Amino acid sequence: MRSIWAVATNTIKQALRMKIAAVFVILLIVLLPVMGAAMTGDGTLKGRLQTFVSYGLSLTSFLLCLLTIVVSIYSLTSDIKQRQIYTVITKPIRRFQLLFGKLLGVILLDVALLILFSAIIYAITIYIPKYFNASEADLAQLDNEFYTARNSLIPAEVDVTREVDEAYKKLEKSGRLPEGVPREKIIAKLTEDQKRWKRAAVPGQQLIWEFNNVRPLDPNQSLFIRFKYDVSVNPPDLNVYGIWTVGDYRQIKYGTKRETPIRDFDRKDAIQTFHEIEVPANVVAEDGYLAVGFLNVPLNNTVVIFPPEDGLEVLYEADTFTGNFIRAVLLILFRLIFLACLGILASTFLSFPVAILLCLVIFFTATVSGFCLESFDFLGENLSWVYSYTIRPVILLLPQFDKFNPAKFLVPARLLSWPLLAEAAGLMICIKAVLLLLLALLIFSFREIAKIII
Amino acid sequence: MEYAVETFSLTKVFSDWWGRDKVYAVDDLNLRIRYNEVFGLLGPNGSGKTTALKMLLGLLYPTKGRALCLGGDGADPKISARIGFLPEESYLYRYLNARETLDFYGRLFGLPAKVRKMRIEALLDMVGLKAVANRPVGTFSKGMARRIGLAQALINDPDLLILDEPTTGLDPIGTRQIKDLVLELKKRGKTVLLCSHLLADVEDVCDRIAILYGGKIQAEGHVKDLLLQTNKKQITTGNISDTAVERIKQLIEDEQADCVVTSPMDKLETFFIKTVATAQQQAQPTSGAVSTTRIGGFLTTETPVENILDKLVSEPVSQQPPPEPPTTEQVVPVETSEPKPDEELLSKLTEPTKPAPLKPVVRNGKVKTEPVESKSPKPEQGKKNILDQLTGRSTHKKEDSE
Repeated sequence: MRSIWAVATNTIKQALRMKIAAVFVILLIVLLPVMGAAMTGDGTLKGRLQTFVSYGLSLTSFLLCLLTIVVSIYSLTSDIKQRQIYTVITKPIRRFQLLFGKLLGVILLDVALLILFSAIIYAITIYIPKYFNASEADLAQLDNEFYTARNSLIPAEVDVTREVDEAYKKLEKSGRLPEGVPREKIIAKLTEDQKRWKRAAVPGQQLIWEFNNVRPLDPNQSLFIRFKYDVSVNPPDLNVYGIWTVGDYRQIKYGTKRETPIRDFDRKDAIQTFHEIEVPANVVAEDGYLAVGFLNVPLNNTVVIFPPEDGLEVLYEADTFTGNFIRAVLLILFRLIFLACLGILASTFLSFPVAILLCLVIFFTATVSGFCLESFDFLGENLSWVYSYTIRPVILLLPQFDKFNPAKFLVPARLLSWPLLAEAAGLMICIKAVLLLLLALLIFSFREIAKIII
Repeated sequence: MEYAVETFSLTKVFSDWWGRDKVYAVDDLNLRIRYNEVFGLLGPNGSGKTTALKMLLGLLYPTKGRALCLGGDGADPKISARIGFLPEESYLYRYLNARETLDFYGRLFGLPAKVRKMRIEALLDMVGLKAVANRPVGTFSKGMARRIGLAQALINDPDLLILDEPTTGLDPIGTRQIKDLVLELKKRGKTVLLCSHLLADVEDVCDRIAILYGGKIQAEGHVKDLLLQTNKKQITTGNISDTAVERIKQLIEDEQADCVVTSPMDKLETFFIKTVATAQQQAQPTSGAVSTTRIGGFLTTETPVENILDKLVSEPVSQQPPPEPPTTEQVVPVETSEPKPDEELLSKLTEPTKPAPLKPVVRNGKVKTEPVESKSPKPEQGKKNILDQLTGRSTHKKEDSE
């Protein structure tokens, strides 16, 4: 352990004294406050804060990622190129200890810098409303929609296999199957239709969604039903009349004594726009159960559909902004740890420029991994097995930086839950980074350290 | 375990990109170096000396055969903890200063902070870099970097010291110091493997040598046996009269042998050391290494008490006079033709610079304090003597003879 620590501190000294870190640090220290003052977003205070947090964290994350790649690669490759490794590896230190030492050094440097810069971002974020003398109303809005961490629940997917099968058979029997279209495509289309149908209410019909595990931070605060209407025929005034019922629906169903209130809301809302209904959080049953009902008022005379992706969700404050911010920063740290392992791996068998190039390619691919997967999925339809056995596994091995993008949670004040964080840690560090590290150890243990000189 | 270093048919073949054998850097090498031996591995450039060393240390893997150091694999931490290695060039971290460099290597050996600190100071003192200990080693000249390289090789007080071209880039005093050090270490029962093509260095200190060429041993044996001219004799006398010379000449001619009479000359090394010693005594400023021929305190003690020594020296101990004056013994190489002048020089170099030890030198109106070699403090001497008392040993330390 002592030797690992010695190597780690030496790596940190190297990064600091060779002024590798200085460039990034100065850039961030200058840029962050400037961004805080200059970014206006959509002109509102909330927009300003959202833009700053989003760009500030993204910039910090991007620059620290670059720094991690450079330091982790430089540290080992320069040791090998300038041969300091001759005097190090001939001391009582095992090769894996040397690699762990380098890795530990890079991670510690990352942690220190990340704490510094996230503290700066956090301080500026908290300070901005005071700086702009925000009104009471603005502050209240910010508290509800920005300085919070709202959990979002969406209705569980309904299994429609049976309905799809029946519909397909029906089409087949009546000979109305479209010609020249493969079965899978027809099934996919039918599934989509059926799913939409499950979220549609004909005039006079009531839809009920049930949610479990609703745990508002404070029952005296509000929860929000966020929804959007799609319609089969546009109503004359482009508005839909609906009666919403929110509460423990089981009390009505089984006729039990009312422990928690059930609230009704008669509303008229424009179609194809997001709306939020504020409901006191005390409607949630003690066991975390909540039902949301929507009655399509017959006078609408149209079918009302809640689009499957974002048609309906329940939002409630599940944690504080600070807690969410800390988890978002941890998400960045996971990225950095992965990249440090990647850099160490690359430097065990590649020279500095080649290793940098490889790592940058992987970093940028990981940043847009969702897009890559989608586009390759689309392209790969025609070369299915070649694709599924070559490119796809490689892309899947990459971490999904875009899926675990901290700004995606902080900007809409969505809860970044501990389980999600654990999932990110599990995927990025416990599986992918550890694999890289094992590979690095394997290569480094067997390679010859000295250069061939005769 | 008879041998400190042993190789069995050690072979290293460098292949080309296609995996075809290209060069036999080391070919079927069978080296046997006994414990407490100073062994010289000689050979022209590219003869495979460094490759052989790298295989000993696990920096390269043998194509065939095996190499053992201290009875085990040189890459095994248990073994490498007892090895000191100075590579062909001092590869140092440019951004660390001299003290940090040694501290880093000391920590790799897992030395406790107190011992580390004590040894670092002793070594910095020994290699003459105490005055520049806080300068990044990237700013050091080649010779100064070499000195730090040597210090790092000694920080663990190794049982086996492997030196690859140790004197490259060193001034004659440094060269001389390394030779003295090697002999001192041998006296303490250590083994030294010296790899060089500077024949004079090897000749001065090695018990046995092997000459490599094309990766193979071409000649091996004791230096004296290999170099002894059995068909000639040499007589060295004091300053005798011409008549006496004539009489000796006559005597030799009676034996039917040729005879040449000359006055022996000082070696250039001796002259150089003398000049520098004079300059040091005048306390002239230098930004470079301040050479001494003193050897790090912890290196001049007997091996078995090493840990006790570290403990004792790192703790304050009251001064106590030794029970009997320690026997003195010169560390000066025994083999040199004229040991006399060297002895004087050594004592000059190591004796305290009495005239102006820390007197500011005024030059061009500026006051400079010159990096004067600090003497090893008295209490240390006391501590060592206490140690001797404890262990019942008579010391052979040069410092004690001061």
